Amino acid sequence: MKKYIAIFAALVALVSCRSLKEEWQPVGGTPKAPAEWDTYDVSGITFTTIHDLKKMYTNQEWINLTRAIENADGKDHYIGGVIVFDDIWIKGQVVSSDRSGNLYKEVYIQDETGGIDLKLGRGSIYSEFPLGMWVYVNCKDLKLGAYNGMPQLGAEPDNTDVNEYETSYIDPQAIIDMHVKRGPKGAPVAPAVITEQDIKDAVSAGFTGELWGKYVTIKGLKYSKEVFALLYPNPSLPHKSANPENRIFLSEAQWGIDTWGMSAAKTVEYARSGVWDTAEVGSGRTRYGAGSILKTPAEVLPAGGAVLESFGPDKDVTYKDILIKYATANYVSHYFKAGSTDIQIRTSGYAKFSDEKLDPDVYAGTSTIDVTGILSIYSGAAQFTLVDEPAISVKVN
Amino acid sequence: MSKKFSLTFFALLLGTLLFAQAPTGGVKGTIVSRTDRQPIEKAKLILYQGANEVATVMSGEDGTFLIPELQNGMYSLVVQAPDYLETRVEVTVNDGYVKNMFNISVTGVQKVAELEDAATDEQDMDDSGYNDNPTVLFNANDVFTNIAGYGFSSVRFKQRGYNSETQEVYLAGVKLNDALTGYGPFSLWSGLNEAMRTKDSSVGLEAADYNVGGFNGTTNINGTASAVRTGLRGSVMTNSALYRLRLMASYATGMMDNGWAVALNVSARLGGNDWVDGVYYRNFAYYLGVDKKFNDAHKLSFVFFATPGQRGAQNAATQEVYNLVGSNMYNSNWGYQNGKVRNARVRKTHEPVTFLKYDFTPSDKFNLSATFLYRFGKNGYTALDWYDAQDPRPDYYRNLPSYYFNEEEDLKRNNALKYAWANEIWTHPGLYPEYTQINWDRLYNTNYNQADGRSKYVQEERHIDQHDVNFAMSGKWRVKDWLTLTGGGQVKMNRTEYYKKIADLLGGEYFLNIDNFAERDFASTPYMVQNDLDYWLANGAAEVVGKGDKYGYDYYAHVRSLSVWGNMNFHWGNLSANLSGRIGYTRFWREGLMRKGLFPGTANEVWAINAKYGTDIRPVVDSFGEVVTSAGKSDVVIKPTGAIKANVNYVIGSKMRVYGNVGYFRDAPSFQTAFVSPRTRNTITPNLRSVKTFAADVNWQFSSGGYNVRLTAYYAKIKDQSKVMSAYDDIQNAFSNFVLTGIDERHYGLELGFRIPLVVDGLALRGALALGRAEYTSIPRMMQTIDNSAELISYNGKTLVDVPYWAMSPVFKKDADGNYPTDATGNYTWEVDKWQRHYVPSSPQLASSLGLNYFYKYWFFELDAQYFAGTYLDMNPLYRTDFATAGPDNTVTPLEIEYMTAQEKFKGAFLLNASVGKSWYIKYKYQLGFSLNAKNLINNRNIRTGGYEQTRIVDNTMGNTRYYRFDPKYFYTSGINYMLNVYFRF
Repeated sequence: MKKYIAIFAALVALVSCRSLKEEWQPVGGTPKAPAEWDTYDVSGITFTTIHDLKKMYTNQEWINLTRAIENADGKDHYIGGVIVFDDIWIKGQVVSSDRSGNLYKEVYIQDETGGIDLKLGRGSIYSEFPLGMWVYVNCKDLKLGAYNGMPQLGAEPDNTDVNEYETSYIDPQAIIDMHVKRGPKGAPVAPAVITEQDIKDAVSAGFTGELWGKYVTIKGLKYSKEVFALLYPNPSLPHKSANPENRIFLSEAQWGIDTWGMSAAKTVEYARSGVWDTAEVGSGRTRYGAGSILKTPAEVLPAGGAVLESFGPDKDVTYKDILIKYATANYVSHYFKAGSTDIQIRTSGYAKFSDEKLDPDVYAGTSTIDVTGILSIYSGAAQFTLVDEPAISVKVN
Repeated sequence: MSKKFSLTFFALLLGTLLFAQAPTGGVKGTIVSRTDRQPIEKAKLILYQGANEVATVMSGEDGTFLIPELQNGMYSLVVQAPDYLETRVEVTVNDGYVKNMFNISVTGVQKVAELEDAATDEQDMDDSGYNDNPTVLFNANDVFTNIAGYGFSSVRFKQRGYNSETQEVYLAGVKLNDALTGYGPFSLWSGLNEAMRTKDSSVGLEAADYNVGGFNGTTNINGTASAVRTGLRGSVMTNSALYRLRLMASYATGMMDNGWAVALNVSARLGGNDWVDGVYYRNFAYYLGVDKKFNDAHKLSFVFFATPGQRGAQNAATQEVYNLVGSNMYNSNWGYQNGKVRNARVRKTHEPVTFLKYDFTPSDKFNLSATFLYRFGKNGYTALDWYDAQDPRPDYYRNLPSYYFNEEEDLKRNNALKYAWANEIWTHPGLYPEYTQINWDRLYNTNYNQADGRSKYVQEERHIDQHDVNFAMSGKWRVKDWLTLTGGGQVKMNRTEYYKKIADLLGGEYFLNIDNFAERDFASTPYMVQNDLDYWLANGAAEVVGKGDKYGYDYYAHVRSLSVWGNMNFHWGNLSANLSGRIGYTRFWREGLMRKGLFPGTANEVWAINAKYGTDIRPVVDSFGEVVTSAGKSDVVIKPTGAIKANVNYVIGSKMRVYGNVGYFRDAPSFQTAFVSPRTRNTITPNLRSVKTFAADVNWQFSSGGYNVRLTAYYAKIKDQSKVMSAYDDIQNAFSNFVLTGIDERHYGLELGFRIPLVVDGLALRGALALGRAEYTSIPRMMQTIDNSAELISYNGKTLVDVPYWAMSPVFKKDADGNYPTDATGNYTWEVDKWQRHYVPSSPQLASSLGLNYFYKYWFFELDAQYFAGTYLDMNPLYRTDFATAGPDNTVTPLEIEYMTAQEKFKGAFLLNASVGKSWYIKYKYQLGFSLNAKNLINNRNIRTGGYEQTRIVDNTMGNTRYYRFDPKYFYTSGINYMLNVYFRF
């Protein structure tokens, strides 16, 4: 009998002595909460200023090397920008937040010499890089590029036939982690108050302009009573400039748009209200006439063509109704003037405050505003992005 | 047990008629092994009259026994034999006859006790793609299910292709299938194998004693204290595929002289396994049963049990991920936290069941029993939830190499550098666990970063907490020798609360009770983003929730059902027949406990809210013009239910039996398919229909001299099933529900089980073959809703969309160059080469097993080779619509139809399993034994058991002519694994 009990006990011991193995860890319950991450140790690193980094955009040796790499397959992909070949580090404080949804997959950092748009290919960046946090960026192997003149630090573009952008988003996460390091959490940066002359100086400096990507306040902006918005009736069909039949420009007037941006629901509301009934379908040299928004693709496009067929069952539906059917959120740019200099304030339809209205007096052109946000350059003109909701970032005078 | 039991019962009746010559009463018969029909010598037979022991005899060398000189009356005969389950048979001696009970078969302990445990536990493992049920109801008496119940479980074989919900599972005579989903309730007692061992099972359409039963087998677990094997038992089991260690103990008194019986069973299942990281058990189980027999006529049983615990779940992944990490056992659900493994998806349950059963046995001609059963407690399942933060799942498609590079140019994924990095990471999961598993550090640190303390990531716990009250009654009356009537009824009242709560704030201080998806679309209308609008109205701000607080959704599902049934059993000589029927109804409704901002209520409710708070809230109207509400009671759905069944059974000689069954069933749709989006609103699925099933089978059985063969041909037609799937829809950019109605299936095929003794004593060849077709036959209809909107999603102007390629898909003819032929005008000729049928997924259409088993002096050896083929992947309806095949350009091509609509077939699979066991009987008092089972000896790690297609279409298709699928996700069966059980019995 004792023998059997001994065998039994031995077997119990055999099967239960593996407690060191990982598989037993969750059985013990939830592990202790992890420690807070340390800030990155930067001892021994020499930082380059953001301004000096921007100057490398014209480094001819790097341009040649970058072109050679991007065109290695014999096709002419390269459109601009430089891969950073040296071990260059920059540091800056976070001055933008995607919390309100007005920015997407990008974060702006600035030092005393300038700001830059860091293209991190992920959402909710503010959750990991809050306002004021110091960020160290190892630029080696990243690409310094421009988007319509605006300096950006991103990854090498996709290998498409002809590159559309000089840079692409920095992702996946491992690449972000390799290049972007966390520093101490600083206090949010106070905006620099700038003047019309500062803007003019920056525009004339071009790519290396100190103000681009910086957090600033501009005072006394007056509304030009003009918007710019580009709508795609069916966004899932091609809608680049080669397909003017799927584009509607709203510009050179207010078009009844009194919100900073327009969500999908707001887009529908505007369209239904009739304020866009005189809008014109088309772009560039292919235009279908004022009021063509009330016509159907079958009425304006050549019969039997592939372009018309692509509208499928919608080809006999008016553009207005197609727009309503497939409505998405849309950007709106409102034009203002700082003195005589144009500044457009551009707001995404995905911003949480996109459907907030401009102050009626501002909209009527009778009051001016002081705005705070990120200044950027777009095709030689100043463009402004609100980081916070208008209640905080827009002061009506 | 019912089939053999009824055979014995008829034999017993027959015996009464034919062998009634002895002057004094008595009982005689032969004790045989159930598996090989070999006589068992030295079995101990104890005869009880009531609680009194009347006689004890031992069986002879040929297994025969005789207990003479008995008074007329009712007796219980208990058979005990080393290595066999204790068996209890009721016997009546009348008119002074010696009753010949012919063969009393007893079941080998290893076969049922240990193997069945493994089968049940294995099914209990997975939470992601499957429910917890065994796929085949184990029936020790049936040669086919005996093999299939254990051996086929590793490929998740479903008997005859039926969904497991169609298996009827009873406890103490109460049907316990889940009131909301129909799933079998096995997880309620997993780990209580001893207490729940005694059961009656029937196969397929066979008639059952305690109810009409269904068409996919019926099982009734006795569960009372006196049914638990007497004595003290202990076992230790270690297992490499599920959990490392199981400790189990039971003690049962049996029915004592004083009329009491007490039984206890406790167990613990602990640890992980060799194959899937992060999957672990911390499960306990307890059972207490007490019986009191007042006299021959009255018995009362009380039982209380539960299986509290938690276990980590596994997740399916795409083949890309499995290939990259080099293992089909990859599990994305876990990550390291402070160096320790933590699983994000943990099933946490404590659902006690208690019942009180009354048995009334005034005579051997009549008995009655009534059971009141109550199930309650908590059933939670954790998951990560996040707000305004990166998707934390490591294998999220944007983290994978395929997101950065794909040869298909339409997908516009062409970044070699990013691809290389993603590839580097995923091919070295050991070096980069922070990217290939959940990165808890990042989740916590993101939360630490929030100055306001609001968590970006939390662990939620989704609850399905039931209050299930049942009352069932059944009676049996032997009116004449040739006629037995049984009948009864059951009432069920179920109120289940569905809600989720915060399980862990992951280092943050609070979370907000708002709807992320709604916020994206309606951020500028704050009331619309509230999950709890009433709270927001009363407090002026969204509700702040902390650990343990409910949030998100909260509603009751109410189900009431009532049914009565009756069965007539006729018996004339070798011919017997059953005719049975059941009729009843099921009612259910939803009761919303949280008023959601998106669907604030009826016009009157909204008017009252606006009047009270001065708000400008508006009621929301859906596509049918109905106001959509989230709070309060929905309309009540009432569906009549019923069944009718007939069975004919003819015994040829004493060895052969031919029998046939036919039945028609009408079942209510399940609660979960009856509401288009039960988490958010009261809207009932349009065109909701009852499920209608016609099923029939014919069977031939031979059983003699160790031979045991069953051959069955079956056919079934199931109509009007419905199904709900929830997923993120990239085209709508929203969380979306697909409701599929009008799914019809046809099932037919053959089942063969056999056991043939070979020349060597104790050696037998055994095998099972299931060759069938379970195929879809209809064009169902799909409806899609998104959580943000009352409107149904419209495809080409239709909201109720046909799914024309659900039941089959075409393969078009191709020319010599592999192109689809066109006519003179350049249009496709659309000539179909063949139509490919689509099958009920995740179960092989062919399952086979051939093996040897050998018993020698309490040793047993078994070796089985198995082959499975014709398993198909679960389909999503979206890919089978005209919308999906038309693509973004609205033009259908043969390529698009073939690509989008075909159903994936898995490769066939070969498995080799072996078992060995031995027991020692010590002084006829103690027993020590072990069994060792090794499965998948050839270590085949490429056997897909199931999976699903993601209900997503690649979204960056702008300018393309066709849509692209997302990669499907798969589950695999484990490689070589063992189970060693050591048991000790007093």
